[in-house]
Amino acid sequence: MNLAFTAKGTTWDSNMDTRFGRTEYLLIYNDISKELSSYDNRESANYAHGAGPKTAQNLFELKADALITGNGPGGNAAAVMEKTGIDIYIGAGAKTVKEAYEAFQKGELIKV
Amino acid sequence: MKEIVVVSGKGGTGKTSITASFAVLGGKDIIVADCDVDAADMHLLLEPNYEISEEFHSGELAYINQNNCIQCGKCYDVCRFTAIEVTNGRHTVNALNCEGCGYCARVCPSDAIINKPQKVGQCFTSIIKTGSIMVHAKLGIGADNSGKLVAKVKNEAKEIANDELKEYILVDGSPGVGCPVVSSLSGADFVVLVTEPSVSGIHDLMRVYELVERFNIKTGCIINKFDINQGITNEIMDFLESKNIVHLKSIPYNEVFTEAMLLGKTIVELDNDPVKFQIMETWIKIKKTLKYL
Repeated sequence: MNLAFTAKGTTWDSNMDTRFGRTEYLLIYNDISKELSSYDNRESANYAHGAGPKTAQNLFELKADALITGNGPGGNAAAVMEKTGIDIYIGAGAKTVKEAYEAFQKGELIKV
Repeated sequence: MKEIVVVSGKGGTGKTSITASFAVLGGKDIIVADCDVDAADMHLLLEPNYEISEEFHSGELAYINQNNCIQCGKCYDVCRFTAIEVTNGRHTVNALNCEGCGYCARVCPSDAIINKPQKVGQCFTSIIKTGSIMVHAKLGIGADNSGKLVAKVKNEAKEIANDELKEYILVDGSPGVGCPVVSSLSGADFVVLVTEPSVSGIHDLMRVYELVERFNIKTGCIINKFDINQGITNEIMDFLESKNIVHLKSIPYNEVFTEAMLLGKTIVELDNDPVKFQIMETWIKIKKTLKYL
């Protein structure tokens, strides 16, 4: 499974980015290969409008199965996420990526 | 550090009057972010000094290089915004009409058209009369607010709040339910809804709450001018209860809102007005609610 995180940096110790559409990076953790890779989302974050739907599309192209984030996407982005079938877990805004992953494993995050 | 975002959906409910009052009550514990950039007005009440100013670019505008232009008129034909003007056979772009879609540049056979980033306004970091800091912006004529600009104002405020170990960020949120308000709400810890008992007041309250609910953020509500229509106030109260929204305060109609505005002051700076004490109680209640989040 590919787990995606909205993050302010590219490592496990980076802080999570509470924002969805304008997150700086998307990190992808493959829990089979145990590899953490990163995608620079700053170009999409720079859109005047529609950053959310664009980021949702990026997640689809990155083959994410689930997303761990802060507040979650707004209306238009949520519609895209629903179509792509990516699960959304929220409530990890104030954590590091590592802490967010641990909270996800313990079932502490809210699925929307 | 907790981020409080104040939104209303409908204009004229008293959102900014109340937000500015909170900014004064919170004093140096607060970094203020004015994200109501379309009609920014916190600066009228909080006396910012415009200490740091930065140009803000968003979106693009078409630009025709006259040296390369062969005056074929293809750009004129495809532009849906009637932004290409022809004077004496010379093709130029009307900046107010151009939406920056790039269609003209795409069809131009002589590569004379490029899109250039558009300067839409300025972003400021100011010291305000409480001695604290406010991040705010000013848009150019005809420019519109965007999620990007709101994100910039908020991120800047957040950075300052983190660096200076401030307790709160207070955000005057954008109106409506579009991209800027989504951006205002993103990352918030607590949302304050300011509403009034009018048909559009309750309608827009419900509409904006749909968004807040999606983000799963703890919410409180202030019913301003509650006594102008007790029937709708009751409906609002039922709505708050059904959605588990904290009822923070009902404030009666009072002309002190306008009086304070005319003086360029916040209500809490006036002497002994009853509304002043109600706003003070509301601020204390918000702080208490935040402690238990």
